[in-house]
Amino acid sequence: MKVLDRKLLREARGHLGMLLAVGGIIVVGVTCLVTMVSAYINLADAKQLYYSQCRMADFSVELRKAPLAELKPLEEMPEVAKLRPRIQHAVTVDLPGMIEPIIGQVYSLPDRRRPVINDIVIREGSYFTARRDNEVIVNEKFAEAHRLRPGQWIRMLLNNQQQELFIVGTAISSEFVYLIGPGAIVPDDRRFGVFYMKRTYAEEVFDFEGSANQVLGRLSAAAGGDPREVLRRAEEMLAPYGVFTTTPLEDQLSNKFLTQEIQGLETFAVVTPCIFLAVAALVLNVLLARLAQQQRIVVGTLKALGYGDLQIFWHFLKFGLIVGVAGGLLGCGLGWWLARLLTDLYSRFYQFPELPSRPYWGVFAIGMLVSTGCAALGSFRGSRAVLRLHPAEAMRPSPPRRGGAILIERVGWLWRSLGSGWRMVLRNATRSRLRTAACVFAAAMGACVLINAFMMQLSIDELIDFQFHRIMRSDVDLTFNDERGRDALDEAVRLPGVDRAEPTLNVACTFINGWRRKKGAVTGLIRDAVLTVPRDAAGRRLRIPARGLVMSRQLADALGVGRGSLVGFEPVKGQKRLRYVPVVEISDSYLGTAVYADIKYLSRLVYEEYAVSGVQLAVQRDPASRGALYRALKNLPAVQTVAARADMIENLETVLETQSIFILLLVLFAGIVFFGSILNASLVSLAERQREVATLRVLGYGPWRVGGLLFRESMITTILGTLLGMPLGYLLMLATAEAYASDLFRMPIVAAPELWILTMVTAIIFGLITHLFVQRSINKMDWLDALKIQE
Amino acid sequence: MCSTAALGRATRFLKLTMTVTSDQPRRILLRLQNVDKTFQMGEVKVEALRDVSLEVFAGEFLVMVGPSGSGKTTILNLVGGLDSVTSGRVWFEDREITAFSAAELTRYRRDTVGFVFQFYNLVPNLTALENVMVSTELSREPMDVIEALRLVDMNDRKDHFPSQLSGGEQQRVAIARAMAKNPTLLLCDEPTGALDFATGKRVLRILVDLKQQLGRTVILITHNAAIAQVADRVVRLRSGQIVELHDNPQPLPPEDVVW
Repeated sequence: MKVLDRKLLREARGHLGMLLAVGGIIVVGVTCLVTMVSAYINLADAKQLYYSQCRMADFSVELRKAPLAELKPLEEMPEVAKLRPRIQHAVTVDLPGMIEPIIGQVYSLPDRRRPVINDIVIREGSYFTARRDNEVIVNEKFAEAHRLRPGQWIRMLLNNQQQELFIVGTAISSEFVYLIGPGAIVPDDRRFGVFYMKRTYAEEVFDFEGSANQVLGRLSAAAGGDPREVLRRAEEMLAPYGVFTTTPLEDQLSNKFLTQEIQGLETFAVVTPCIFLAVAALVLNVLLARLAQQQRIVVGTLKALGYGDLQIFWHFLKFGLIVGVAGGLLGCGLGWWLARLLTDLYSRFYQFPELPSRPYWGVFAIGMLVSTGCAALGSFRGSRAVLRLHPAEAMRPSPPRRGGAILIERVGWLWRSLGSGWRMVLRNATRSRLRTAACVFAAAMGACVLINAFMMQLSIDELIDFQFHRIMRSDVDLTFNDERGRDALDEAVRLPGVDRAEPTLNVACTFINGWRRKKGAVTGLIRDAVLTVPRDAAGRRLRIPARGLVMSRQLADALGVGRGSLVGFEPVKGQKRLRYVPVVEISDSYLGTAVYADIKYLSRLVYEEYAVSGVQLAVQRDPASRGALYRALKNLPAVQTVAARADMIENLETVLETQSIFILLLVLFAGIVFFGSILNASLVSLAERQREVATLRVLGYGPWRVGGLLFRESMITTILGTLLGMPLGYLLMLATAEAYASDLFRMPIVAAPELWILTMVTAIIFGLITHLFVQRSINKMDWLDALKIQE
Repeated sequence: MCSTAALGRATRFLKLTMTVTSDQPRRILLRLQNVDKTFQMGEVKVEALRDVSLEVFAGEFLVMVGPSGSGKTTILNLVGGLDSVTSGRVWFEDREITAFSAAELTRYRRDTVGFVFQFYNLVPNLTALENVMVSTELSREPMDVIEALRLVDMNDRKDHFPSQLSGGEQQRVAIARAMAKNPTLLLCDEPTGALDFATGKRVLRILVDLKQQLGRTVILITHNAAIAQVADRVVRLRSGQIVELHDNPQPLPPEDVVW
């Protein structure tokens, strides 16, 4: 090994603490990069493979009932490659030992296996056999959650009749990578299942001979990947058969969630590592600047001995590269491990035939390149000034730092009120501009990450509170399989354990404003409903008007309407003619795009007489009453779905639990940024001012008093940086929320005081912890020796 | 003296048979012509050298004497290629140093010049042996490192770090480092300045031996006038100008010098 390399290694050992601190930030940056890019590739590859394996539909049309022969003209469109009509139906499942109601969705599949659009992948057992008609294939997660195996029987309420079905296999499908029940935003494997049955059997039990209520399609090359024209034509052609919705792949529920997740990873894979690596480069810059400054004379001597600028530069560069390479390697390793963890976590929510986490050498190479690049940049900028010096100049002591008054000294009364300690602190912070700037930047980025982490936590809390405690307040929601009269409500009130029942009427419709059309639904409520309470952004209760609609802001914006506008309303059932109704209030919510109206008013509009499509219940919370209610519900054939608020909250909280790992990780990462930058700046400052510190000690300052000066310096930058970083983090979250916002789900943005307080307190705690390490160096410092040092 | 014996061995090692006699015509090794050097110190301009012209002969032991601030170190830095002139020209043999590019200057320092500094300037993180290796690793025809350390009698302490060595020992390592790469020109900036009397004389002896036995050209600067007695020629400087230049036909052996 070359002698200079030995020097390098010994110096590295001497500055181990500082190098570890900077290295930590680089590790965090590379870890984020490798984790996110790897997870992105894992998900994106798995999606692509799975979609082509199952021949994922490019669009779907949901309708009331259309004869298969009527689909011919649609199939003959040049833009359509292939169509697949199928029967879909909601079902309730009766499993022994399960008190809670289980709902599901049934889809028809060809009796004999052949490749179809939105095909399934058998996971256990087999496809349908010729032995029985009533065979069923169950989605894998549901089967797992209830320990259902091929060969068992399962009871379902199909079209108001209890049926026994024989399970032949379990399966998954690309259309349900992210499988959620109606109204849910997170999967619930126990309470929602997907079931496939033979087409002939489905035709029989649902009374759908020779017809279908859903059409899936794949586009031909002629469509150029755009399904809009096909869907527009489909809507026209199939209008007589009651088109409910037309859905391009991009709006398909599972695909939407999956694609958003993949896009999110893609964005964050760039933004997050950039934050950390920029901080690392800056901190390394400060460290190397000090190191090179400290070695002015060595640099001069080496030059005098005949070392060239490049050789010496390379020497200092290696110092940074040690950190870059080590940080990069560790980050790649850690990133790969975390990518596996993250991918594993994804496989709990997203179901793929397989979701492997592979090591991607290209990603590692990028990780190494980025980490060494940022380390090299930091070292280059840091050592440049000293390397530029003539050898003779380098060997002369560096000229004294510029003196003179700083800006704050001009505020006479303020300056005079400060003690000498504060004056020293302020002058130092102002004069070491690069260092102060680096610290403020690091603290700002750290605060940005902290805001991100805390907001994640707070926004789920806010979502649960606002959505499930303030808007949706019913304990159990029932939907009937058809519209019913007032008697349905009376029946519901008599159910065991029910304290209060309110009727609802759900009417699917198209909203129209000029050229803008949106498919949606209006929910009819009683005017003094307390189980569903529409609210505005400030949380104020909105009263249901006697005439007109309360429309969610999301939908109103999409339609370009506001309070007082008239909007076209065209129901898909009942009297289907288009009418213009006023928008009376704009409501806010985080889930869905609800539109509310008085149930009487809505009934009049659509059916002319009072109609009820569901009931919301407030029930007694004790398990015995709950059990009795659920048992009674199982025997009510008219009830199509049962949703319990407690289950939804529980599901959301499960997500929060898995999220908490990431929140913790983000806080840890922020901690590393704070620790690394503060430790470096303080130790560099200490090294620069050894004589000053020694002099103070001679004057009678104790080590803690000296430490107090450095602590005040680091606190100024920490607090200043955090103050700057908090709004930055907030804006970042705002942009993220905007990017992720969909008709289904919008992330609450929380600006509650606890967010700011928590962030500031955490930043200060990180500062304090770091200072303990700095204080240790001060306590250990041989200040008598420092007095002898000649600069 | 141990170092003298070692020098003998080094001579054989280097197969150097060069002898210097006074009746040969003196060859000019270095030439300074009307050199000015001004420093900008903050807002103040300091004229370190004013119109200095000087010739240095191959194989001579030249001592420059003068109080601090007289410009001694500046001259040394200029002829050593460590600094640039404000005006004037400097030649080494027939090559003009002042016209050198940065790369040429580096090569010049690497191949031609050996430096010995008042405060030794050893690399704190390297042992004595490694500090010498720092210079031999650069050189095309270096001395054996152990041999160089033996020359200055520092062989037993070769694995010590600078902080574990006395000032004299550090300076001997610094001399070993300077000569280990076989430079033509040895530039010594107050090499005894930080040393006690006895140690200082020992260091002087090594330098004189280097000149006498290896034929090196040595330029030594000092503010200590007594040291001038070991020189072949003496230059006196004051306020950036040469005020006196004279030959010393009878140089004293370092052991006889008293200060």
